[in-house]
Amino acid sequence: MQVHTHVEITSEWGIVAARQAGRKLAREVGFGSVDQARITTAISELARNIYLYANKGQIKIEELADAGKRGIKITAVDNGPGIKDVRRVMEDGFTTSGGLGAGLPGVKRLMDEFIIDSELNNGTKISAIKWLR
Amino acid sequence: MRIPILKLHEYLLISVQVDLDDQTALQFQEDVLNKIHEEGSHGVVIDLTSVEMIDSFIAKVLGDVVDMSNLMGAKVVLTGIQPAVAITLIDMGIVLDEVPTALDLEQGLDKLQSELEG
Amino acid sequence: MKTEIREAILQHQETIIEHWTTELDKFRTEDNLQSITKKVYENTNREFIDKLFLTVQNGQEDVHQELIQYAERLIQLGWPLNYITRGLQEFRKVTVETISKSGVSYNNSIEFFQEFENWLDGIVNVLVNEYSGSWENTVFLQKMALKELSAPLIPVFDKISVMPLIGTIDTERAKLIMENLLDGVIEHRSEVVLIDITGVPVVDTMVAHHIIQASEAVRLVGAKCILVGIRPEIAQTIVNLGIDLRKFPTKSTLKKGIESALELTKREIVQIDE
Repeated sequence: MQVHTHVEITSEWGIVAARQAGRKLAREVGFGSVDQARITTAISELARNIYLYANKGQIKIEELADAGKRGIKITAVDNGPGIKDVRRVMEDGFTTSGGLGAGLPGVKRLMDEFIIDSELNNGTKISAIKWLR
Repeated sequence: MRIPILKLHEYLLISVQVDLDDQTALQFQEDVLNKIHEEGSHGVVIDLTSVEMIDSFIAKVLGDVVDMSNLMGAKVVLTGIQPAVAITLIDMGIVLDEVPTALDLEQGLDKLQSELEG
Repeated sequence: MKTEIREAILQHQETIIEHWTTELDKFRTEDNLQSITKKVYENTNREFIDKLFLTVQNGQEDVHQELIQYAERLIQLGWPLNYITRGLQEFRKVTVETISKSGVSYNNSIEFFQEFENWLDGIVNVLVNEYSGSWENTVFLQKMALKELSAPLIPVFDKISVMPLIGTIDTERAKLIMENLLDGVIEHRSEVVLIDITGVPVVDTMVAHHIIQASEAVRLVGAKCILVGIRPEIAQTIVNLGIDLRKFPTKSTLKKGIESALELTKREIVQIDE
């Protein structure tokens, strides 16, 4: 049976809730401690982006079983302002929030697959997958 | 939620035992700086043994605490960063270049002591 | 396979075997099977075609067990897969040719070909699976072996550990090395870790990147990294590739590295006078 969890991000507490849910599922799927940290951190980054830029949105965390491989998929959806220049936000060190600019490029490196889909004024959808090796 | 800050001679000892949310992290930053000011501390050890995750925000807050404390004349050492956390930070491209580190609280204190004497 | 078809093939067994053997003999000279003596090659061929006919006779859909055992033996002896596929291809060609030339009174030749091809495809699948299964197994075992070989962290003195790296470092191994390194640092409470790359044949940008990341991670958990075992040619490639290792202490030999590690931990080795 495939498990999935939705966490609504409406406040900073949502960030904590999302990453705790992610860690729990990562552990259940059988990821080691390093990958658990990678997955949790990626969720934290995505949830924070929702909170910072869109105010509210949703993090969906699900278990994947595909052609004998197992993994975890994180999907972050919001109806916020969208990303003006997707290529720029994927550059290391680019930030509009005064952060480290490591968020999205960091998530991409932490996970195995990463898809970003954003429309200006219409929201952003980011999915990222980590496979169990 | 507030993270307790202990005073030991001219040092401050902080052991972070909770999953840091943003508000707690920012509150923590403020508390450390106030305490340095109050006590005139020369050194701070922040022990992160129980911290399971450091994302870019928390990394920034920690880096900032180090820089700000330095400005106030207190050296900061981060101790007990877990392997999984270290690997995740490296993967993210967060190096925390200028931040002194040590294996645990004890070595962190040793490091402060030798740096302040040296 | 239908009985008529089976009988048609069996009826021409002699001719098929004869032609097939001639074709396979040609194959021997053009491939790298020349190291095998003529006698062994002929015996192997003989056995191959016998097992094939055994399977024809058997008439069942599933491949005869003896044919599988025969393939397993070839795998163990290290015969290439293309010997098997070539043998089966020739068997197909020769059989189809022989049957169609014989003007056999089998009236639906299309059906014959289809039936025969399906039957042979089944055999191809089973034998190729047999072969690739054994490869996957080998690859898996080699991966495991490599993993075991990967990077133990050896405590040499109180507070000082050495990690000798041997062989090529790819991304997967680099991850493993990093985890072993950090877990070991915590476990042994090492303050200084020497990464010895004497046994790493090539240090390119990728390998250097992994080593830099590992030493940064070591610094984060609170220890120091010294890179040792830098041979002249490695030093040359590192500089020529423009890799910046200046942030990391490096030493040419493990011996010098240990000396500087002792210095860092404020100790030295002294000679005791008699």
